[in-house]
Amino acid sequence: MTSVAIRQVTKTYGKTVAVSDLSLDCGSGEFLCILGPSGCGKSSTLRMLAGLEHISAGTIQFGGRTVNQLPPKDRDIAMVFENYALYPHKTVFENMANSLRLRRTAAAEIDQRVHRAAHLLQIDHLLKRRPFELSGGQKQRVAIGRAIVRKPQVFLFDEPIAHLDAKLRAHMRGEIKRLQRELGITTIYVTHDQLEALSMADRIAIMNEGVLQQFGTPNEVYNSPVNTWVASFVGEPPMNFIDGELAGEGQRVWFVNSNIKVPLAADRFGANRVGQPVQVGIRPENLRATLRDPGTPGWFRGTVFAVEPVGGDTLVTVTVGDMRLLAKVPAGFDADMDDACWIALDESKIHLFDRPEGRAIRNP
Amino acid sequence: MASREVLQYRSASWRVVRAAGWLFIAAYVVWTVLPILIMFLSSLKNLLDAFRLPPVGDWAGIVKLFEFKPTFAHYVTLFTDDHFSTYFLNSIICALGSAAVSVVLGAMAAYSLSRIDFRGKSDLFFWIISTRMAPVVAVLVPLFTIFRLVHLNGTLPGLIVAYTTFNLPFAIWILTGFFDNVPFAIEEAAMVDGCTRLQALRSILPLVAPGIAAFLVLCVLFAWNDFIFASIIGSGGAKTLPPATSALVQPQNIQWGKIMAAGVLTTLPMMLLGLVIRRYMVTGLTMGAVRE
Repeated sequence: MTSVAIRQVTKTYGKTVAVSDLSLDCGSGEFLCILGPSGCGKSSTLRMLAGLEHISAGTIQFGGRTVNQLPPKDRDIAMVFENYALYPHKTVFENMANSLRLRRTAAAEIDQRVHRAAHLLQIDHLLKRRPFELSGGQKQRVAIGRAIVRKPQVFLFDEPIAHLDAKLRAHMRGEIKRLQRELGITTIYVTHDQLEALSMADRIAIMNEGVLQQFGTPNEVYNSPVNTWVASFVGEPPMNFIDGELAGEGQRVWFVNSNIKVPLAADRFGANRVGQPVQVGIRPENLRATLRDPGTPGWFRGTVFAVEPVGGDTLVTVTVGDMRLLAKVPAGFDADMDDACWIALDESKIHLFDRPEGRAIRNP
Repeated sequence: MASREVLQYRSASWRVVRAAGWLFIAAYVVWTVLPILIMFLSSLKNLLDAFRLPPVGDWAGIVKLFEFKPTFAHYVTLFTDDHFSTYFLNSIICALGSAAVSVVLGAMAAYSLSRIDFRGKSDLFFWIISTRMAPVVAVLVPLFTIFRLVHLNGTLPGLIVAYTTFNLPFAIWILTGFFDNVPFAIEEAAMVDGCTRLQALRSILPLVAPGIAAFLVLCVLFAWNDFIFASIIGSGGAKTLPPATSALVQPQNIQWGKIMAAGVLTTLPMMLLGLVIRRYMVTGLTMGAVRE
């Protein structure tokens, strides 16, 4: 168990910058997720941590020791690959025992450790099989098993469950999280799935185009995104964005555009930005919708564009003027296309971003 | 990739095509199998039986070909009087020696070519394979001159080096393709597990086994069947089976029985090799290693 420090790390391939000046700290025993779309540099970062790629600039430290020039075998890490990367010609047992054999562990201890890991992952009955006889979920467990037979300093996961079907993925999220807590090993987990990151991580580092956007707890990145990019990437269905400007009227600050006018809490956003163009972000679950005119202020009239029942909830797309907003409302919202509809924004849940930079506007 | 069902609808033209197909296969079998059969039968005949042939056009007379008293005398004299045990051993040493050298050097070169990107890689690759494109005779004279300087003519190591000049580029060419198909992730996993580069290469070798098997066959075959190198560079101390067989054609006496027996001796090991190695050539070991 050890802490991991990434200090001003840059990775370039020729002229392409894959990772730009990245600094992250991962505490001992912490579960850190690196989240981002494909090509954001998250996998390059993980591969540099593993020692599979050179670091162009900066340093990586494990427990205070710089590992830049250490080959993978000397870093005491274990990695689970996106495509499992099991040895196809070896049995499950041999796959899991390989790292121990390379370290000349005694046969009896190898046997004991492999069986304990297999038991933990419920793959005891598969130990004699070869990878091609296994299902995707089983291969994935073997890949994790290969990582946990040893007690490495750091676990590295490269989208380990991306290729599983949705149901199994949900199941494995819980299992991996529990396993990590039980073993207490520092874990860095790369994923493009914001749900995986939110549900498993202690802290999330969100990257885009090689640049770290935000580094914080799941709660922070979800409830206080630092910019519109993070706000739109985290959360499903994605946040609605509405262009407009700030207007002052009496004691209050309003967000206005040609379609809506919403009062803002002046103490949250400050009055000194009146007149500036801004963007409001509001998550679908913070929009309310009704089919009958409530007749109270704060409701805006629109028409129903589409209704998508998704089990416990219903997603309603509403057209208000030239805007199209997605609202998540309780099931039973029974509307047809083009029906009249009223929506309201939960003012306390509004996110405000400046334009055109898209940075979050916070209490000064 | 899953194979698809081949749809065939029974029409008149389909019957014609099918009949023509069977006819072609029958002719092909006769064409390929008959010479081997005749060679085998003739090697068991004495000179009188061997030349008892039916007249042209007498198809019923074909049975005469099979009327003879089998004798193994030709095989015995090949080994007792004609030193064929030495030539046989020479052939084996040359073929396996060259194959072994080519497979070790070729695997390492192919692995590097497959894994490392560097400037001029495709040019280098083309240059390597282009050395295999030159006809043997073009290389023969320069090679002979060089070998004379280092006293390799007429020696087994000389022949092995000569065969390797042709086998090595071929090995690199075949194995690079096989290494390209092995996912990086497997050797990366090996390195994370605690392997060095070389150990990682060794750990993925079983995955290119079909390639190595295919190449071994072709390599051995090239050396085993070679006549030109063997008769020029090998002449003197390193005679192999093909030149030894041709030496049985003497101006005053063509020893048909022995030639046929030598032909059988030369063909048989290669057929056996093909049978043994067939299993490895069709085993797709990468199956299920990595999610496609």
